[in-house]
Amino acid sequence: MSGMNSGINVNDPTVVAAFKAALLHQGIIALLIFALLGFAWITVRAWLPAAPATEGVAGSTSAAAAAEPAWRRLLRIGFGLIWILDGILQAQPKMAIGLPSQVIQPTAASSPHWVQHVVNWAGTNWSYHPMQAGASAVWIQVGIGVWMLAASRGPLSRLAGLASVGWGLVVWVFGESFGGIFAPGLTWLFGAPGAALIYLVAGGLIALPERAWRSPRLGRVILDGLGVFLIGMAVLQAWPGRGFWQGTSHHQPGTLAGMTTSMAQTSQPGFLASWVTAFTAFDEAHGFAVNLFAVVALALIGAAFLTGHPRLVRPAVIAFTVLCLADWVLIEDFGFFGGLGTDPNSMIPFVLLGLSGYLALVPGPVIAAEPASPGLAVPRWRERVRPAALRQSVGTASIQTVAAVGALGLIILGAAPMAAAQASSTADPILAEAIAGSTAPLNFAAKGFQLTDQHGRSVSLASLRGKVVLLTFLDPVCTSDCPLIAQEFRDAGQILGASARHVELVAVVANPVYHQVAYTQAFDRQENLTQVPNWLYLTGSVPQLQHVWADYGISAEILPAGGMIGHSELAYVIDQGGRVRAELNTDPGPGTTATKSSFAVLLANAARSALRSS
Amino acid sequence: MNRPIRLASLLLAATMLAAGCGSAVNQTAAPSRPATPPSLATSLATATGTWAVTVMGGSAASHNNFWQLFVRPAGTSIWRLATPPGVASNGGLVLTGLASGSVLAGFRPSQDLAYSPLATTRDNGKAWSPGLLDAALADVPGALAADPASGRLLALLTDGTTDISGKGGTGWIRLVTRRALATSPAGTRCQPGSVTAAAFSPSGQPLLGAGCGRPGTAGIFSRTGRTWQLTGPALPAAYAHQAITVLRLTTTGHTTTALLGTGTGPAERLLAGWSADGGAHWTLSPPLPLNGATLTSASPGPGSSLAITLSHRRAAAITSAPGPWRQLPALPPDTATLAPAPSGGWDALAVHSTQLTIWQAVPGTNAWASAQVIKVPIPFGSSG
Repeated sequence: MSGMNSGINVNDPTVVAAFKAALLHQGIIALLIFALLGFAWITVRAWLPAAPATEGVAGSTSAAAAAEPAWRRLLRIGFGLIWILDGILQAQPKMAIGLPSQVIQPTAASSPHWVQHVVNWAGTNWSYHPMQAGASAVWIQVGIGVWMLAASRGPLSRLAGLASVGWGLVVWVFGESFGGIFAPGLTWLFGAPGAALIYLVAGGLIALPERAWRSPRLGRVILDGLGVFLIGMAVLQAWPGRGFWQGTSHHQPGTLAGMTTSMAQTSQPGFLASWVTAFTAFDEAHGFAVNLFAVVALALIGAAFLTGHPRLVRPAVIAFTVLCLADWVLIEDFGFFGGLGTDPNSMIPFVLLGLSGYLALVPGPVIAAEPASPGLAVPRWRERVRPAALRQSVGTASIQTVAAVGALGLIILGAAPMAAAQASSTADPILAEAIAGSTAPLNFAAKGFQLTDQHGRSVSLASLRGKVVLLTFLDPVCTSDCPLIAQEFRDAGQILGASARHVELVAVVANPVYHQVAYTQAFDRQENLTQVPNWLYLTGSVPQLQHVWADYGISAEILPAGGMIGHSELAYVIDQGGRVRAELNTDPGPGTTATKSSFAVLLANAARSALRSS
Repeated sequence: MNRPIRLASLLLAATMLAAGCGSAVNQTAAPSRPATPPSLATSLATATGTWAVTVMGGSAASHNNFWQLFVRPAGTSIWRLATPPGVASNGGLVLTGLASGSVLAGFRPSQDLAYSPLATTRDNGKAWSPGLLDAALADVPGALAADPASGRLLALLTDGTTDISGKGGTGWIRLVTRRALATSPAGTRCQPGSVTAAAFSPSGQPLLGAGCGRPGTAGIFSRTGRTWQLTGPALPAAYAHQAITVLRLTTTGHTTTALLGTGTGPAERLLAGWSADGGAHWTLSPPLPLNGATLTSASPGPGSSLAITLSHRRAAAITSAPGPWRQLPALPPDTATLAPAPSGGWDALAVHSTQLTIWQAVPGTNAWASAQVIKVPIPFGSSG
């Protein structure tokens, strides 16, 4: 999956610090959003005369608003809390860099190529803009969670459900690789078909119109769907040849034991690891019995759900809850310990779904609905958006409605920077800064030189006066870093656009053996630099080159036994007056598409800065 | 359960089964394939010394394995490291002899390097002068050839094209593409697949070796004027239905030596052929059955001698045309290639990570004795 992995260390201090700073800044903006909304709400309420205590935007127009049934409240609050937890998990410092390489890529690795292709697109986008993507995931998920918790009724509440559907779909497809349903080894025990798909289903149920809330069929539909799913999973679990019936195979752990073994090795409290290890040992010893239990339990619970008889469903829901919790603790290991956990996996969502199905099937006592307001006509939308009506709506809105609107602001706060970043085809320069380290501004006269370019013409630094010079040192027969650096220079020229005519991209040969013009020409052809008008690849005799290397602190060492020339990887930014303004480390690091693009942006930014300072 | 739910249940179960169980791999036996050229590990005997090429490093990562060049100057028994400096050798080294004992080495591309720097030495590797082939040398030991008389070079490229230089190894031009060769009158008689070797005839005509799609045909092409001729050798009727591949093609002095692979699977054999007139007439060796082994290296020696190494520590050699093949004692472990020994036999060059051991056959026994050990300072980590 090329491009997905930026190749940067997930703990890179530069990236981690930038991610924390981004979250902090956006967090302050989030607080401001809530403060402003609260202030506006209080102010408008103070201005307005006492109004009837009906709810505003979130459902005030309903003349006879129904009380929210227990199944919906459970789903809304349960999944709202889970979304908030997921958002908090997304704020882990490693997440900005680590999500593509440590979460998405491993998840997609065993899926078919077309799945990897789809997922790679998203992973690459994330890698190009890790700060914006990481922060957007935090605020979107926290926003959806707060929104679901705050908006209990009315259009805002239904919209929160739809937001859960939309983002759940994004997470399920791109973050979970379709929950792994196209990969071999699919099993309910490991979380199939993906937690985000259950978020999606729950969001869909929350988005149902109020007239469907008390439909006697709703509970049946939920439980029938769950029942069919569980029976299907039981069949899959029972299917021979997938490694679940054996605790061990050829002295290696079976499929389930292998999974739990790896889970037990992740970083977590010792007692949790010991539980998982104990279960692993039990499964290795009694693999057949464990799988038989899982198959029978799934099939029986699924069948009980399908009957729709409350007397059977009730114990089945209890059994399902116990089974899910046991799986969550002993197999999924709570879902988020060790590595980079993004959610508590699928068992808690399954429990919530099963319980809500049961509650919908067996409705409790109806909570008194809010009294209808006789004679209160439902206004048309044009009347609603008039200033006076809006003031009235704001003034009569509940605190929950204000919180829901604030949550919507949180989502926009996260989504807007990511959307803006997506409009750019270049990567965030933070990746290059993480590799290259910080650069201190410089200001001293650049040492002059006179060398020969790739066309055989004599070129001196003085002849480039009036242009910003990005100067680096490249080995024309280098096999790894130099071609990448050359590509970064070429891309920097493209990023500069019209400004590029004020910038000269200059490389000096850094090889005392292969330094003839023929090599600079061959290198230019190899790297598609022949058509770059402001590209110069300079060379000269070995003494000439050694003089320039010495002036710019470049070492070029001949390594024995087939090693390529070991040379310094630096670039200098020389302003239009011939003064060195910056020195950049050009070691391209992992050389991924994201880091190459990031370096190109860094170089272009450095050139722009020199243009401004000249 | 009502009907729609039952239907949905079946569909879901079927989908899950397809998703979960669809990973079974349809394993079928791989078809037997014609012989392929040996690795780049080989040796070269020149008037001033004996050269050997081998890969060292022992790493799973190709960018941490480096091809090395060793030389034993004529009149001495000591090998030394002579790898040309300035270019990473991870992609491989290809050797050919020039006039007066000079040697040309070509670097195969690796990683992001797409063309082949060259290096020439006139003093047994003490000093090298750079050269350039602005194309990628093919991954076969016979990818470079020189005509000592004219100084022209042949280069076989990764895309099957052959380039030829002017005198002195400069001014490369296209000689023939694989497609042009295949569609020439001679090509239609051979139906060449990949071009596997290049050489000059003693009279300086370009020669190309290939695997023929047409059974029983040995694909050695000779360039005469502007046309290509299929110059044989003609094989006995016993090979009429067998795939024939030219594995090595070299010219030493007035003799062109070809190593041919015939047949596939259990019927795979090696044949050596010699021609002193640019391919008009050939002398063939007896066949050497491989008995399931694979060819790992082939080393042309002085005159018409030839040695090969096979898997399972097997080796065989021909002292002079027309043979026969002589089985050599079981090779020392990790033998990469054989090189002509000063005494007239063959030295075994064995590589273990960063150490090269030269083994010499003990006369009158089936044993090998360690004659020299060279520790090579492999520049691990220098290629990315």
